[in-house]
This record gives sequence, C-alpha cells and structure tokens, in this order.
Amino acid sequence: MLRFLVRRALGAAVILFLLSIVTFLIFFGMPRDPALLICGKSCTPANLENIRHVLGLDQSIPEQYWLFLQNLVLGSNDYLQGPCPAPCFGYSFHTGEAVWDTLIDRLPTTVSLTIGGAVCFLIFGLGTGLLAAWRRGTLIDKAATATAMVVSSMQIYFLGPLALAILVYQMQLFDKPAYNEFTKDPVAWFGGLVIPWVILSTIFAAQYTRMARSAMIEQLQEDHVRTARAKGMSRRYVFFRYAWRGSLIPIVTIFGIDMGSLLGGAIITEYTFGLPGLGRLAVDAVSFSDLPLLLGVMLFSAAMILLFNIVVDAAYAFIDPRVRLS
Amino acid sequence: MLTGCSEGGSKAGNDKNDKEQQENAARQQSSIPFGDDKDSQGPAPEVPGAKSGGAISVLARDSYAHLDPGQIYVQDEMAVSQLIHRGLTGYKATSDDGRKHEVVGDLATDPGTTTDGGKTWKFTLKDGIKWEDGSPITSKDVRHSVERLFAPFINQGPPYLQQWLADTPGADYRKLLPDGPYKGKHLPDTLLETPDDKTVVFKFKTARPDLPYALAMAGYAIVSQKGDTKTKYDRDPVAAGPYKIQEFKSGKSMTLVRNENWDPKTDPLRHQYADRFDISFNHQYEQSTKALLADNGKDKTAVSFSNSVDAGNLSKVLNDPKLKNRTVTGYQPYVGQMNINLSHPELKDIKIRQAIAHALPVTPFVRAYGGTDAMEVAGGILSPTVSGYDPAFDPWGKKKKPAGDPAKAKKLLEEAGKVGMKLTFGYINTPEGQQYSTAMAAGLEKAGFDVQRQEIPAETFYDQVSQLDNNYDIFHTAWGADWPSASTVIPPLYDGRAIAEGAQNYSQVNDPKINSEIDRISKITDPAKAAAEWGKLNEYIVKDVVNVVPTGYYKQVQIAGSKIGGLVYDDVISGVDPRRLYVK
Repeated sequence: MLRFLVRRALGAAVILFLLSIVTFLIFFGMPRDPALLICGKSCTPANLENIRHVLGLDQSIPEQYWLFLQNLVLGSNDYLQGPCPAPCFGYSFHTGEAVWDTLIDRLPTTVSLTIGGAVCFLIFGLGTGLLAAWRRGTLIDKAATATAMVVSSMQIYFLGPLALAILVYQMQLFDKPAYNEFTKDPVAWFGGLVIPWVILSTIFAAQYTRMARSAMIEQLQEDHVRTARAKGMSRRYVFFRYAWRGSLIPIVTIFGIDMGSLLGGAIITEYTFGLPGLGRLAVDAVSFSDLPLLLGVMLFSAAMILLFNIVVDAAYAFIDPRVRLS
Repeated sequence: MLTGCSEGGSKAGNDKNDKEQQENAARQQSSIPFGDDKDSQGPAPEVPGAKSGGAISVLARDSYAHLDPGQIYVQDEMAVSQLIHRGLTGYKATSDDGRKHEVVGDLATDPGTTTDGGKTWKFTLKDGIKWEDGSPITSKDVRHSVERLFAPFINQGPPYLQQWLADTPGADYRKLLPDGPYKGKHLPDTLLETPDDKTVVFKFKTARPDLPYALAMAGYAIVSQKGDTKTKYDRDPVAAGPYKIQEFKSGKSMTLVRNENWDPKTDPLRHQYADRFDISFNHQYEQSTKALLADNGKDKTAVSFSNSVDAGNLSKVLNDPKLKNRTVTGYQPYVGQMNINLSHPELKDIKIRQAIAHALPVTPFVRAYGGTDAMEVAGGILSPTVSGYDPAFDPWGKKKKPAGDPAKAKKLLEEAGKVGMKLTFGYINTPEGQQYSTAMAAGLEKAGFDVQRQEIPAETFYDQVSQLDNNYDIFHTAWGADWPSASTVIPPLYDGRAIAEGAQNYSQVNDPKINSEIDRISKITDPAKAAAEWGKLNEYIVKDVVNVVPTGYYKQVQIAGSKIGGLVYDDVISGVDPRRLYVK
C-alpha cells in the first residue's frame, strides 16, 4: 500500500509540474496586460514600465517561470515584500498579499461549504436513490426519479437568488448567507451556511439519486445477491449487506472526484452567496490577470483533485477485498 | 423618448429626483472655496440628532486592494480612507445636507498659504495630532509620505504632486528619487522643506494653485514614518483618523474600531459616532440592494459606501415614499464621451466631425446603463460635480433630441462630399457596450455613414484605444475628475503635448488654442476665476474643435438601513459620506 501511495504521489507531482507550465503559458497567451490593469487612469508608458519591472514581468517567460519554481521550493526574501517561506507562490499582483496566506485563509470557507454540501447531497441523494431502488417500479420510484431529473436541470444561479429572495429576505426564516468561523461561533457558522449547503447539494443530490438507484438495481440482479436471497436471508439484510456494498465502488469514485472539485472551489455557489472561498478567489485571479494568484489557485485545486483520487483508489481496497488481492 | 423605459408610471417621482439632482449639481457650478484657519479648527459641526454608540454594518462588493494612502485611487478605498487616514487638507461640508464644501486644513492649521501665486505653499501642523499608537504626527511624517510616493512600489495612486515637484509630466518624476526615502536619499529643501516639526513648505518651479485640492485626495494622506512597512503597509496601515483597523481579512471582512488617540478638537471633518464599522465584502449590487430593502436584523444598521442600487430596483427605490429618508442620490464625476480620432486624415474635416456630433444618438447609451435614473444626457465634458459646469450648455442639442439629428448630419456630410463614408466604431464588449454600440451605429448610418463595428475586449479596451496607431475612427470612453476642478479633466484629456502611446488624449487632439489656454488657466490662483475659464474652454472643445461628443453624466443611487442616521450623498466623495454616519 505504501509503495502504491508513493507512486501515486510522485505521479501527482509530475502532473502539478506540467500544469504549472501550461498555466504559465496560457496566462501569457491571454490578451491582457496585468500591468495595464494596475496602471489605472493616469497611466503613462514610463509608469507601465515601472509596474512591469516591479511585478517582474519585464523578464523573459522562462526566467519568470524559473523564479517561480525557485521561490516555490526555496522561498524568497524580497527587500520590499519581506520573507516568504516555502512554498512561496509569490505575491498577488492585485493586492500584494502572499498567495499562500490567501489560499490558507480562504480554505476554511471552501472546506466548510464542501463538507456541509457533501453531507446534504449524500443524505438526500443516496437516501432517495436507495428508496427508489427499494421501491423499484412503484410511484415512489417514479416520483424520486422525476424529481431528480427536474432538480438536476436547475442551476445554482437560479435556485440561489430564489432561495435568498424567499427564505431570507421575504420570510426571514434563515440568516443571510455568510461564512463565520466554526471555532468562534458554531451556531453562526451553521446558520450562515445552511442555505448554500442545501442549494449546492441539489445539483449533486440528483446525480447521486440516479447513480445509487441504477447501481443498486444492477447489484440486486447479481448472482451472489440472488444466492443470498435463495439461502433465506431477509430482503433488507441482502439489500444493505450485499447489494449496497457492491454499489459503493462507482459512488465512491464519483464522490472522490466531486470532493476534489469542490475543495478546489465551488465557484458559482461561492459567487451567488458572496462566500469568500477558493472559487471566488479563482474568479478574482482571472479578472485581475493576477498570475501568482492564478497559479496558486490552479495548483491548489489540482492538488485537491489529485489527492482525492489517491484517497479514492486507496478506499477501493477497503470497500472491495478483490482490489486488495489484485 | 429618452425616458421611455424608466418613466412609466412614476413621472412624479422622477421629476422630484431630477430636481434634487439638479439642485445638487447647482452648488457645484460655483467653485469650492478655500476656508481659513478658523474653518480648519475642530471639532466638526455636530450632525443634528446624532447619537454615539452602536455598530454599523457596511456591505461592499469589492475587497480593498489598497489601504496604503499612496496606492489609493479608487472610490471605495477613498471612502473608507476617510475614516482611517488624514491629510494636510480636506473637504469640509458646510451644510448639513453635505452639498456645500470648502477646502480646509485637516492636519494643517489652514488649507495652505502662498505668497507667490502658488509656487510656494506653506503648511503648519496642528497641535495634538497623533497616530493610533499615541505618537505625534510631525513634519517628518509628511516628508516621508511625500518621498515614498517616488518609490517603485507606489504605482497606483495619483501622480500630481510628484509631477509638480519634479516639474515634469508622465512618470519621469521617478528619476527625482528612484528608491523613495528607503536608501538614504531625500528630496532637497529646494523642493520640500521641513525646517521644524510643525512646518512643511512645498516649492514648485511652476505655479500650482490647485495644491490644496490635490492634497485633499486620499492618495496624499499622511503615512507614519515609524510605522512604514513598505509594501505591507497596504494591508496594515497606521491610523490617524477616528477609526483604526482592528482586523482586516482581505476578500472577507474588515472591522474598524474607535481610535482613542484621535482628538476631535483637531479634526474639522470627521465624527466618531459609531463604536465600530463591520465591513463585509462580496456583496453584489443586487444582493446588497435586496438586503437593505428587506431591512431585517443587522441590515437595519447597514449601509454601503460604494454599492449602488442595482438597475432592476432603481425605479422601486426612487419611487417608494417609504424609502425616501433612507435613499440618497447624486452625480458621479464621470462623463461619457465619444472620441473622434483626429489622427485619421478624413476626420480632420470639421464638417464630418460635426455630422458625427449631430447624428450620434445618446439615448442608447443612457438606456444601456439603466435609464435616466443612472445616466443623464450630457451637454459638455465637465460633470455637474466639477466647477465650471454649465447645465444650459448643449451645442449639439442632445438634451432636446437625444436620438440625434440625422437630417442635419446628412446635410453636412453632403457638403463635405462624404456620404457613405466608412466609420470604424471600436466598442467595448461589455453588455452595455454591446447594447449601445448597435443602436449608436444605426443612428449614424441614418445620417449616411457606413459604420463598421469592431469589438474590443473590455480588459484591453483602454490599452487599445490609447495606442497612437489604432484603427478606430470613433470609440467611447469615460473620465472622472480627481477633484472638483476641470484642471483634472481638460489637461490630461485634451492637451496636444501629452499625446503619447498609452496616454489619455484618446482623440489625439492637438489644438494650439487648447494648449495655450491650458497653460494660461492653470496659472490662475483664484478658483472661481479658473472655474469660469475652464468652463469656456470646455465650450470651445465641444462646440468648435469637436474632437469628442459628450454622451452622459453618470449618476448614483444608494440606500441604507432604517436605523442609519446622518445619511448624506457627498459629491466630493461620490457616495455616502461615512464620516457622519450614526446608529439611530
């Protein structure tokens, strides 16, 4: 197992390295000049040149990339910015803040949104999917399937403002969405995130409903399940002990990918509810042509996806003994 | 026709708002005078009914990218800096509605004295002015603040003072002190003299009568020499104003608390009514408007310094009598203008430019920004917030005929023998740009132009139109004054000697009369006389040179929670005045 993990971690490092090169090249292919955005209304060619120099944009692209790698591994100590210990992603062009500090600062919002959202969509999605599979062919099954279809066709940017208008501003049933630190005020943390969790989960829940239903139906038709039933085991026991376990593999796979993506930033949800997470940061990085921030967010998000892929691969071994044997 | 969309069913309300805004603008038609030492004394006049205590929530869209005064040049940062920073001078409201102002000494005892027509300016610091740590603010801090403006990392604030000290345009001023004060070099006494802890003397080679206005900009607030952390000051500055930063989480929130070392007796501009300001970011205009309209819980004591009412809620907000006492409206300093590129030979013919001016419909531009509640048809290039503005000036009849006059334009084109002339229209690819450019092009085509629209990405728009060899015949830009004087509008935009790659003379006009008038008026030390002369030059540019066609004066509507007191729209701040807010 250790060898497997080390091999996967090395593979992930190579992917991140390649991704950083691609991001760098894409950035410099973009038709915008970050120095010009900073230069503002009284911009002159000389001032533009000064800004490019301060940002390091007057160096060649390979030189800039080499400096980026150097700072990432060794850290830097610029006379104006002060020390930036490794991993140093540099300083935001727009705000001048250390990118790593910004990422760490925004991470709790995204983690809170992801975990809460995941709990919601697992409960709603899997619960409905299992119910539909249990009651296959009945009205309940059809209603669950149809609801999943309807909900999955809706979008967060439609449901979010609608929920805000009705539940927050009109009926005043919930607090205005906001991120409050869990350690300082758990009640405010919960109250501020409950609507984003539910809205975020609607999109995912529908997907999990359909996936759980079809996986369970497939499993229920497997030979070992039929054998178990023939041996006299109860339907409920077979359903949860045999079929459910067998259907977990595809669910865990998708769940791992979803978690990785969400931890990289739920852009639309964060934007709709004004939550200061990594997704929002990614939008800002693109809007302001902020190369250090863009690189930081991209690599951080990619690292999350890769990490969860490794976790999922490792989880297979626990779910399915056949994987362990192979 | 112009107000077709927004007037429906609410004419009376709109008339009232228009009247209010015209009154608001009327006060700007006379220039803002300089006060004296008595006017510069604190405390600031009490706001009627104001109470002390409570926390004010502030809903903001964008986080503050800069808190270092030297880097501040955008409205939302300027607004919050009114609570934290102080400069040598400032704008003092001389009426309770915040519509009349004068320039007074803020940290200085008066707005500055000059005995040689503006070449030498002397300021004396007040007694009892302190930083948040209790240490006194001295002339050393002022010198340090000025000198660090030359450092390479200060690259986003206003450049006026630096250019005036170096007596050079552009960014060549940096050669005067390339590293700022950080490597042991300083500005010579021939430019900046600080003979003792209280005295600061600026010495310019050319008369700079606008210095008291310029020094009132947030970008020229004073920085603590002892507390200067260079680039890190941008995140954690030392306060001199009534509030200090307790916590700033970039992109999330900021908490301002009372600065115990601020003495109201030294400050003629600010109050310290609220205990705290809790500022949170990431509120889009629609969200903040809905929250403030709902007026629930904490939003009752909420306000926004920069967020406008979103276009979808404008009519509702302006026409609901219940919201009147918590709504403020006013002009922004921006003026929209269609540039006619004079570097293109065919456009050197004045008849063609006049034809464009007659034909150009401004209705689409006004509509694209939400109608007359958000944009007013412009006659000149000076905004109603700028001294010298004349509401009657409308040489192309846009206020009466905002859809343009294609018949007159066609006649001029025929006289010029250019019917069917190709006109390349570079437009910004924002939703508004897409909308107004299509209708404007159609209006010009009615007059006989063959308009070719060319889309320009929003991110590079100003980069492209400021290139000297750009191929756009016409393109639309907007410009805002830095202080309520045309000296921050006409010279940067229309001085022919300032034509350069990336510079702001977008139409590339180089008219000898404009250039000489700029030089002459810039030396007038009486603000009222200067305003009148700038007004005349504005008329000459728009009517006789026709290198630009004014399109719109930008307006703004803001709303606050029902428990917010002291709510006033301040034209100088271009938004809610945060210095006088209190919790009811």
